[in-house]
Amino acid sequence: MSTAVHLDEITKRFPGVVANDDVDLTVERGTVHALLGENGAGKTTLMNILYGLYEPTEGTVHVDGKPRDFDSPADAIDAGIGMIHQHFMLVDPMTVAENIVLGNEPRKWFGTTVDRERARQEVIDLSNRYGFDVNPDDAIEDVSVGVQQRVEILKALYRGADILILDEPTAVLTPQEVEELFRVFEELTAQGKTIIFISHKLGEAMHAADDITVLRNGKNVGTVKADETSNEELAELMVGREVLLEPKAEPQEPGDEVLSVQRLSATDNRGVPAVSDVSFDIREGEVFGIAGVDGNGQSQLVEAITGLRTPTEGSISYKGRDITDASRRSRIDDGMAYVPEDRHERGLVMDFDLVQNGILGSQHSPPFAAAGRIHWSDAREHTERIIDEYDVRPPHADADAESFSGGNQQKFIVGREFERDPDFVVATHPTRGVDIGAMEFIHERLLDLRAEGKAILLISSKLDEVQGLSDRLGVMHDGELMDIVDPRNTTEEEIGLLMAGERPDADATDAEPPVGDAK
Amino acid sequence: MSAAETAKSVLRRLTAASATERILISFAALVLAVVVGAVIILVSGRVTTCQTAATTLFGTGFCYDPVEVYLVLFNGALGEPFLVNSPGILKPLNPDWNPLNFGFALTLKETTLLIFTGLSVAVSFRAGLFNIGTQGQLVLGGLATALFSFFVAPLLPSGLVGGLILIPLAVIVGALVGGLYGAIPGALKAYADANEVITTIMLNFIAAQIAFVLVSEFFGNPDSQVVETTPLPDWATLLPVAFPQGGDFSLLALAFGLALVVAVWFLLEQTSFGYDLRTSGEQPEAAEYGGVDAKHTTVTSMFLSGALGGMGGAIWVLMVMGKWQAGVPSLGFDGITVSILAGNNPFGVVPAALLFGTLKSGSLAVQFGTGVPKQLVGVLRGLIILFVAMPEFFRMLGSAIDLEPDRETVATDGGRLGGDDE
Repeated sequence: MSTAVHLDEITKRFPGVVANDDVDLTVERGTVHALLGENGAGKTTLMNILYGLYEPTEGTVHVDGKPRDFDSPADAIDAGIGMIHQHFMLVDPMTVAENIVLGNEPRKWFGTTVDRERARQEVIDLSNRYGFDVNPDDAIEDVSVGVQQRVEILKALYRGADILILDEPTAVLTPQEVEELFRVFEELTAQGKTIIFISHKLGEAMHAADDITVLRNGKNVGTVKADETSNEELAELMVGREVLLEPKAEPQEPGDEVLSVQRLSATDNRGVPAVSDVSFDIREGEVFGIAGVDGNGQSQLVEAITGLRTPTEGSISYKGRDITDASRRSRIDDGMAYVPEDRHERGLVMDFDLVQNGILGSQHSPPFAAAGRIHWSDAREHTERIIDEYDVRPPHADADAESFSGGNQQKFIVGREFERDPDFVVATHPTRGVDIGAMEFIHERLLDLRAEGKAILLISSKLDEVQGLSDRLGVMHDGELMDIVDPRNTTEEEIGLLMAGERPDADATDAEPPVGDAK
Repeated sequence: MSAAETAKSVLRRLTAASATERILISFAALVLAVVVGAVIILVSGRVTTCQTAATTLFGTGFCYDPVEVYLVLFNGALGEPFLVNSPGILKPLNPDWNPLNFGFALTLKETTLLIFTGLSVAVSFRAGLFNIGTQGQLVLGGLATALFSFFVAPLLPSGLVGGLILIPLAVIVGALVGGLYGAIPGALKAYADANEVITTIMLNFIAAQIAFVLVSEFFGNPDSQVVETTPLPDWATLLPVAFPQGGDFSLLALAFGLALVVAVWFLLEQTSFGYDLRTSGEQPEAAEYGGVDAKHTTVTSMFLSGALGGMGGAIWVLMVMGKWQAGVPSLGFDGITVSILAGNNPFGVVPAALLFGTLKSGSLAVQFGTGVPKQLVGVLRGLIILFVAMPEFFRMLGSAIDLEPDRETVATDGGRLGGDDE
């Protein structure tokens, strides 16, 4: 086995930050290598160096045993490296084949015209060779995210990549699509390709990788073989201490109904129906979870409940009163806390310091305001308490929100909303971007609120999170609430099928022929 | 680093500049503008012909002496505290100098008026509303003040008592009318989604024409050839009591303007409404999330901005003209530059307005005291304003566009954390 990539003592400094500190990394040819670490650990920076987007401050990149000095991604592509970013760089109205050959189109008539036929044929050959299931004539906008990702991979292969870097490839996929992706990994490595993928999820690194390198604070804290390690060991490497991995909500008898959503429909900003006919209710001391792939109407549902979007049909009642048309402010005043999905747009005013952000939503309410005047000293005290309890780093109440890392911004928002003394908490992706340690703390606080008898609506695309914390779990697909299940007695596969839009036929379960016969 | 990246990093640096740095940048810009202006003066002095050279450098004669021009500019704005001898030598102190002089009064007059309009623009800009309509609000506010005073004055005892009653009321009327006129584009924005830049610009024209028609057809001074209202009695206006040489400046008006500066600061920084207003201006989505009623805030902010503009008009009528007259100076438009210069900070409005006032009254001194033509003086003024305003302008630009180098916007989740087999 030869070495495909060797990074030798790579250090990358940005003004004021050391993103990578003396990192060594060796990736063997024909293997899947996972780069594991929390957000801000320096994974993406390291891979951007390998891909020629950044130049290392110190250290050398070796590809196929030769030291290389990439000035741009074009050099890296020439050296056989391809990178698939988190955001796909595809042209929506163009077909799969057109996207794959874009920039390297086969030409005819002395290079004046694109040879579409040959392009199409080459794409078909390529996808057959690696067993990819894509139709070259589909428009990108019509295919699923999973297929788009495969198109990105094919694009890299078409340009002659031997080493593929994938940045958080599973972030946008359903569990089934994740399985599909990992099968593609196997197919590619069987044919001698090398794969490096970035992740902060232990499970998938264990599942799909041969070797796992853990980064923490920009340093390589260990490279291990996937079959010689455990989740616990990896978590400890990532965080630097022992971590309780799986949140567990002990069953608890719920109280009175707090929120009731009846036959709710809503559209998105373009007026396209996004939520259709959703009904559920949440009671005191209950966590109602909603699982689903991002973009299946969860955002619009939550906005309708929290008063940021007017529903087109249906009603919402809160504490026994109809609030379908109530203002956002009245809902806040009525004890509704909300951890929003988008912390940069909604959750924080980026140019305000934390003290000012600490009263966002409470700027008219005691104890922070009376008779129209804001009591900044109380606001400061409150903010410092949140910073302290939720471990917001650095603990600077006077620093602008913008200057904090995503995880710390998230901790601050969660702290502000949880400490509002709410009756009802809407938590959208509450642990998005925070590290495992903070995640554990946020989960604990959420369960504390539940124990105090608060009603909680939890939306997350992390299945283990909603499954572990919820008392009841609704699954959304394409704006519909597919089903409400008991998360403690439902497998991940069943939920995954619901997320993908397949409604299990309850009666047919027994009558179904054994799966093996299907082929 | 590419040009675009360099530009971005400069913008980022500007956006992150501290208050002290900003003051230093403004000062450096002022010096630079003077240097560039000096070159222009020399060049134009070379291409003009004159009897005797004002200054001689390297054996070449120049018609205008830049040192003299700038000395006269700043000296004149203060009413010549220093004696200037040609060619541009500064004598220590003018023994006859009195701070309460005409030149200084002229400076303070402009400063006072621009404090009002600068505040008006600052309030709207802080709310994220680009109110270009301060001029129109000022025109109508001023007219309302003039007409109100004219019709109510006969009902009141003349003299100090009448003035004490009438002047505050007249200012309030001006504020109300300016405010209501500002609330129109506010409401159009809130309820009909009409861009306030367009509507306020159009409403400026409408205001000027309405005022013109009202005065020329209905409320004009029958004894005058000009389109103007009948002059108010002296007791109903703000007189330059402390400045015996005149100059249409009233300390009372300046004190009122400074009190408004503090009041606007208090409103913006210390009240819940101010918080709503600033949040709407910084990040409308976050304001909505925080329970701010966007429509209500838009209309109220525009009313406030218009009211400040209207008060500017009231002060212009009561302090400067003693009547309303067609052809209102472009105080409202200058207010935009003042506010940008001030970084939309109410306290910053004071030095920014003072700079404007100094330049305006100083350039009169240059025009009369040196042979420099008034067009060239205009260029020098424009240079200073341009240089000093640009860093702040780019700061506004920088905070309006996203400059983050590589902000990780993508959620990194969607899978499973713990064991996911079986």
